[in-house]
Amino acid sequence: MKVPRWKKAEFEEIEYEPKSIRELLKEMKNISELIVDLAYSAILFNNKEIAEEVRYLEVRMDKLNYEIRIMAMLAARNAEDAEKMAGVLQIAQAADTISNAAADMVKLLAYKLDHPILPHLIKESDETIRKISVDENSAACGKTISELKISSETGVRILAIRRKDRWIYGPKGNVRLRKGDILICIGPEEGIKHLNKLLKGEIEVLE
Amino acid sequence: MSEKEAEALLLELKEKAELMVDLAYSSVIYDNKDLAREVYELENFIDVLNEELQKLAIKDVKGGELEVNEALAIIQLGACSEAIADAARDIADVELRDVELHPVIKESVLESEEVFVRVKVGENSVLKGKTLGDIKLASQTGMWVIAIKRGNKWIYDPTKNTRIEEGDILFAKGPREGMEHFVAIAEGEEKEI
Repeated sequence: MKVPRWKKAEFEEIEYEPKSIRELLKEMKNISELIVDLAYSAILFNNKEIAEEVRYLEVRMDKLNYEIRIMAMLAARNAEDAEKMAGVLQIAQAADTISNAAADMVKLLAYKLDHPILPHLIKESDETIRKISVDENSAACGKTISELKISSETGVRILAIRRKDRWIYGPKGNVRLRKGDILICIGPEEGIKHLNKLLKGEIEVLE
Repeated sequence: MSEKEAEALLLELKEKAELMVDLAYSSVIYDNKDLAREVYELENFIDVLNEELQKLAIKDVKGGELEVNEALAIIQLGACSEAIADAARDIADVELRDVELHPVIKESVLESEEVFVRVKVGENSVLKGKTLGDIKLASQTGMWVIAIKRGNKWIYDPTKNTRIEEGDILFAKGPREGMEHFVAIAEGEEKEI
């Protein structure tokens, strides 16, 4: 059986590596916002791939929460500092709680109900969510999101891009796509199909 | 029929929980106690909604409209939304405490690309009496109005037909560049959209 990626990440050892509290907190905030969006989408569209991404992000969040605690303890120089830092850790903990709740949501997909949990909502939504990887033959490699006119030509919104083990949350127009990037996109069915063709190298431009 | 009702309630829970997270982060970025208090208010409301959802799901099982597993899934989804709402409240709690916020909070959150803003519609604003569709705010400034507070009422997820009134408090989200322009328009200092 293939071990899912999030499971591997869970058993990796955490090594001490100094990181700034600012960077840690920033990523935690970003994950806490993205993960809720992804979890609801996974449920709504009954999508196990997206659910897997949620669990992966949740594992990453746990690590960040652990790291930020270490860094906070190292950073406090006196009682006043420590009191302010307590607020930072409370926010970090809340971000972690949010990601845990999101992970709990996607566990419901394992219930094996014979239809989606929310059959009416899904019928009323004309959007869908998909994970699409960028093929090395795609004309999109090396181009920015705005150059490709993704949102105006397809109506698709890119929630996040996974690049190896890094995430780009809510990518802006100036982000350049690379081969192997995994895009998490939400949008109308037709638009997603069209974008998929571009990213798989079947068409040269979106029109 | 009421199976659909349960889903609608769940959707409302989801939207309010997401709004709370937005508001909570904003309260600590802008060091704004009003926003933090809104989060607390919403949290009470979420508790009420969640209880309604639970009752409805149980009733549906009794009436044979939902399978036990389906109702359980709905109840658990509601519980997750509530957990998210509680976490948002914990963030707002940091703002409401009498301890100065650590500067790192503002720095890290401000570096995120999306900003969140709360603005009151002034009496001279060109937005007064217009619908969100009329003014094309999203395409002109990049800012999306995600909620409106009118007196004690909330309008979540306003549509293009939602009409803006004087005194409305708009909550909008978007790129940093669009924020100032948006605020000037809403307050009435800027007339050109």
